[in-house]
Amino acid sequence: MAFTPSPRSASTLEPTFNKHIAPIIFEYCAACHHPGGSGPFSLISLADVRKRAKQIATVTRSRYMPPWLPEPGYAEFIGERRLGDEQIRLIQQWVDAGTPEGDPKDLPLAPQFNESWQLGKPDLIVRMPEAYTVPAEASNSGNDVFRNFVIPIPVASTKYVRAVEILPGNKQIVHHANILIDRTGSSRGLDEKDPGPGFGGMEVAIESETFEPDSHFLFWKPGTVPWVEPDGMAWRCDPGTDLVLNMHLQPSGRPEKIQAEIGLYFADKPQTVFPMLLQLEHDGALDIPPGKKDFVVTDDFTLPVDVDVLGVYPHAHYLGRDIQGFATLPDGTKQWLIRIRNWDLNWQAVYKYSRPISLPKGSVISMRYSYDNSAENPRNPNHPPKRVVAGNKSTDEMGHLWIQVLPRAKEDARPVLQEALMRQRLRKYPADFTAHFNLGAVLQASGRREEAISFLDKALQVRPDSYAAHTNLGAALQELGRADAAIAHYREALSLKPDYINARYNLGNLLLAQGKTEEAIRELREILRVKPDDAGTYNSLGSAFAMQGNLVEAASNYEQSLHFNPGSADAHSNLAYVLALQGKLGEAVSHYEQSLRLNPGNADAHNELGALLGRQGKLAQAIAHFEEALRLNPNHEGARENLKRARQMK
Amino acid sequence: MRVRGWVEQSVSLLVGIFVSLTLSFAGGTMPGQSQVVDLNGRRVEPLKVSPARALVLIFTRTDCPISNRYAPELKKLHEKFVASGVKFQLVYPGPDESVESIRRHIRDYEYWPDVLRDPRHELVKLTGVRVTPEVAVFVPDGSVFRMVYRGRIDDRYVAFGKMRPAPATRDLEQVLEAISKGRSVTKRTTTAIGCFIQ
Repeated sequence: MAFTPSPRSASTLEPTFNKHIAPIIFEYCAACHHPGGSGPFSLISLADVRKRAKQIATVTRSRYMPPWLPEPGYAEFIGERRLGDEQIRLIQQWVDAGTPEGDPKDLPLAPQFNESWQLGKPDLIVRMPEAYTVPAEASNSGNDVFRNFVIPIPVASTKYVRAVEILPGNKQIVHHANILIDRTGSSRGLDEKDPGPGFGGMEVAIESETFEPDSHFLFWKPGTVPWVEPDGMAWRCDPGTDLVLNMHLQPSGRPEKIQAEIGLYFADKPQTVFPMLLQLEHDGALDIPPGKKDFVVTDDFTLPVDVDVLGVYPHAHYLGRDIQGFATLPDGTKQWLIRIRNWDLNWQAVYKYSRPISLPKGSVISMRYSYDNSAENPRNPNHPPKRVVAGNKSTDEMGHLWIQVLPRAKEDARPVLQEALMRQRLRKYPADFTAHFNLGAVLQASGRREEAISFLDKALQVRPDSYAAHTNLGAALQELGRADAAIAHYREALSLKPDYINARYNLGNLLLAQGKTEEAIRELREILRVKPDDAGTYNSLGSAFAMQGNLVEAASNYEQSLHFNPGSADAHSNLAYVLALQGKLGEAVSHYEQSLRLNPGNADAHNELGALLGRQGKLAQAIAHFEEALRLNPNHEGARENLKRARQMK
Repeated sequence: MRVRGWVEQSVSLLVGIFVSLTLSFAGGTMPGQSQVVDLNGRRVEPLKVSPARALVLIFTRTDCPISNRYAPELKKLHEKFVASGVKFQLVYPGPDESVESIRRHIRDYEYWPDVLRDPRHELVKLTGVRVTPEVAVFVPDGSVFRMVYRGRIDDRYVAFGKMRPAPATRDLEQVLEAISKGRSVTKRTTTAIGCFIQ
């Protein structure tokens, strides 16, 4: 193809591949379009690009490529992969001119890509337990396969994860993936129910009874460098955690095996900064009549604390159209968070802000999504259009705006955010079990027990068979001193789920507090039948035997507790107490010391230790501990007495 | 010298035939010296009338993701209609596609092995296809094959990146249904979405 000069003035730019087009292709396209990359063909040489010149001109003109959904001018995101109008024009011009090559010395170096771990060797590599064969074509409505795979994380002790990298195994089949953290094991149940590796569904819900809100976006899409969490924001991964790989798979026309790997990179210090994912949604209002072109769903959330917004993840299914997320500040200013005019499920992504967006307390975060359920919408899964409601099949709809926020306060603001979120949820869904349950939990944790009880009562009205709600209600009642009512709820929980350890543990300890040692021992031993390594149970058993005067059994159980959890200050001081009673002063001293190393703020332990040291004749050390006890608790009568006596003896 | 003279003569002969080929594509007939070949390199004349009830040319590439995603659908259509005398041929118009890569492609996607290469785009020009995948359907009409349909397999692709979750109209299937039931088919074309044939 000869380069024919265009009949224009000399000042008109005549683009060549080497000087003008290659830089664009290398920067915006090659990240996916390289050998071994996610793209179905490579674009790293002139020959590559010439072979597809007309196609490149077409797809860039329509902005199908490079794929980038957010509308410019609303919010600024890291890694914006969007061509400017001038760049698109250059490409058109170059193709029209016959794709001239240009001067060889103008050609920039072609980018290099690493198909293995981009962040270097991971600290831990895990893999989908079984390979999954993606069928040649999707069997249900829709062209793609959405499937979830449970991957256990074999850490022996708690680790903090600062980065996660996914090697999808087949980059052309895996369109994108989310990772969810399952600390409860609930997704294993879903996996078992579904034949074949993994389980189907576009979304995964993880039921949790403890307050451990989602906090990080763990997302993979092609052509990007894996995200590394900022300092202090590594997330906790305990032993027993599963990762759920939520994958969007694109059949290729023939069966393809995938067995993705995940690389985990650990931080060397614990998490000190605690972001939280807020979810705006109103799926309960999603009921789209067939033919309706502009069905709108909204949700609004008022921030109870100052936050910085770090990232956003909008999500809808095939009918989503105009996606809007914005905040209205207390002074009336509108701050856009995201705008997507032409939603495309295939290119959904997590977007992280170039600069975090500060939102003061009182700002209202809003989502406004529109849906097109008409026959004119080519993405409509139903022909003719049908009524569509919320669900996790591809023929259902969803409308979520996930926002990652970092509260600005130094104290952990997540419970405050959780309370506000759940109250908002209650406004949307007045009979919602989750909202009532979660509100009960968060109120109880912050000491508002009466209110917690009223919410937990309502939760049980909605779901009388929730053993978790019975247990939490029991705990709240117990803390208010209503022991009999508490016991009734614990027993109800256990009748619903006999192996529910939380309920039995609480029951055992409450019986112990009531002095009913035999009953307590019975309940606690029942826990050990189910969970033989429960350190807390051994500790409580130790106390039960101590109350009965059985020091040998008490000591033995405390020692078992420490065997399973050497880091329990409580068990150390309990054991020390019993050892002292047995006359084993040296060992007792040692365990008090260990307890105080773990929990230096325990006034009683200082006092007890001081007393033992005094008996050993180490008056100076004893006095130091009595003084520390009084410093921690100026009202500690025992320590005051002991100090007086010790000073007299000195 | 003598050899070269002879080669030059035959080159000019071929050029002459090539020129006449391009002039006659509107009529849908192809005279003797076509450059369309099978995978063994033998020249073929696909539009020479045969006992087939209909002929379906499926233009495709080994590396076109849209074409490849159609493989299951094409195999279904092949299975459905081949018994009633419809001949399906895969045509690879890419001059850059080697015989080895095409053989591998047929194996990988488990296609039926009736394959043509059209590196000079003779069939492309004759049918007017612009992209892969795109199909052309011919029915016998006296001594020639007459094109009755050219275009998309179905309407699941609306544009690049815009796909229906399921096709609303299965154009190729409809045409083949009509033919196999002996109904007359009026010539029709549709716009296909796919990788441009360059």
